[in-house]
Amino acid sequence: MKRSLAILAIAFFALVLQGSAARVLPPAVCPDFGLLLSVALGISLRNTAAGVGLAAGIGYLSDLLSGSLLGQHMLLRMAAFAAARVGSRKLNLRGAAPLAIFAASLSVADAYGLFALVLFFAGAQAPPPPLPLEVAVQAVVTGVLAPFVSAGVRRLSHSLGDEEGARLMRLEPRRFPA
Amino acid sequence: MTDLRVRVRLPLLVVGLVAVATVSMVIDRRALSLGARELPAWAGWVLDAAVPVQKAIAFPVDLVRDAIGRYANLVGVADENARLHARIHELEEESLQLREALVAGGRLTRIAEMRADFEVPMLPAQLVGSDVSPFFRSVLVDRGRGQGVRSGMPVISEEGLVGLVTATSERSARTTLLLDRQTAIDGTVQRSRTRGIVRGQGTDTALFEFVAREADVEPGDVVITSGLDGVYPKGIRVGVVSTVSEAGSGLLRTATLAPAVDFGRLEQAFVILRRGPSMELLYRTGDEEAPAKTAAAGGPAR
Repeated sequence: MKRSLAILAIAFFALVLQGSAARVLPPAVCPDFGLLLSVALGISLRNTAAGVGLAAGIGYLSDLLSGSLLGQHMLLRMAAFAAARVGSRKLNLRGAAPLAIFAASLSVADAYGLFALVLFFAGAQAPPPPLPLEVAVQAVVTGVLAPFVSAGVRRLSHSLGDEEGARLMRLEPRRFPA
Repeated sequence: MTDLRVRVRLPLLVVGLVAVATVSMVIDRRALSLGARELPAWAGWVLDAAVPVQKAIAFPVDLVRDAIGRYANLVGVADENARLHARIHELEEESLQLREALVAGGRLTRIAEMRADFEVPMLPAQLVGSDVSPFFRSVLVDRGRGQGVRSGMPVISEEGLVGLVTATSERSARTTLLLDRQTAIDGTVQRSRTRGIVRGQGTDTALFEFVAREADVEPGDVVITSGLDGVYPKGIRVGVVSTVSEAGSGLLRTATLAPAVDFGRLEQAFVILRRGPSMELLYRTGDEEAPAKTAAAGGPAR
């Protein structure tokens, strides 16, 4: 409970900071902390139920601080958490580079997922899709920051007494007999 | 039994959360189309809590930006001063000529009487934060329901149209900018009176769509709100046409519009405290005056 509240509080301040940064920086350059935290939770949190709940909470906070419909980011953050959880089991995301590539790919999927949701609720006049360059820049920013945010969440989990949560979830590389 | 409970707990939680998100989207979409999108109290608290934090972060940033801006403005200030003096003389002369023409037509007294009707209650608001998603273009302002702000109220600045309030809490409101992909505004070219729709593109420019036949739109034309959508008051500057697409065989042509408002530097705006059909009150004729006044006393209605 303590850990969940701490993560939600950090998510709130990170999103508020992101909103402030977006006033002076181009929107695509601002890191999407909601997505980054959801990915970090999917990789490092042991308790899946708590992780899904936290990802949904972070998504709802994003919805409140964004022009989206309430629930759009909530759904996408849960999807990001699920993808990161499955990814961490199937792939080796221990290194910074694989994690960065994985997070960047999720960022692209997230951008087009959001567009699909907006399109679904748009009615007769379809909005223009996200610009590929903007999506690419955001993916790079997300990828670069993913290892740092992930390490931060792991450290936070550890400091709040979640020994198991601190453990990076992954499968050990299979060793074949010589 | 405990095993089963543990096993179904996660799928139940996921299904429950997905259902909450879906129902939330449907309800929110409906509220948005009805123009009655007011956040529930607990969600409003979150938004209200964000305002002071964003204000605290914005203060030093704005201070530095203002200082840089002021220094940059000093360069060439003498030339600009001379140019503006010349322009003032020009406008004074033009104003005098127009006044003379109106007096001659006997319409000046009527215009003076109508002036009171055009005075719209406006509330100054500070922009404290931008959208956390690059897909949407919206800003958070530090005025909310407590100050009379409601969803559907237009927001303007001294430069022109900013956008529309789309969600409110007690002490803050989310304003969707005219640059947002989901924004559509009924606009008119000031010079030729060609009507069209201004659509946000999610970029720093907007698109002006107009019917190709007999349309007269050129680069440099100013596009203003037509007031015919019943959302925005008539005559607010939306932007300046920068490029016009080639006339093809299609029914519609498009022009790229540079917004009148510099959104990168926008710090203060004004919320027009009227919305929807009540905007028509601003352009009422003499015959409609009595019922219109009754409606105005009842406050904004949608």
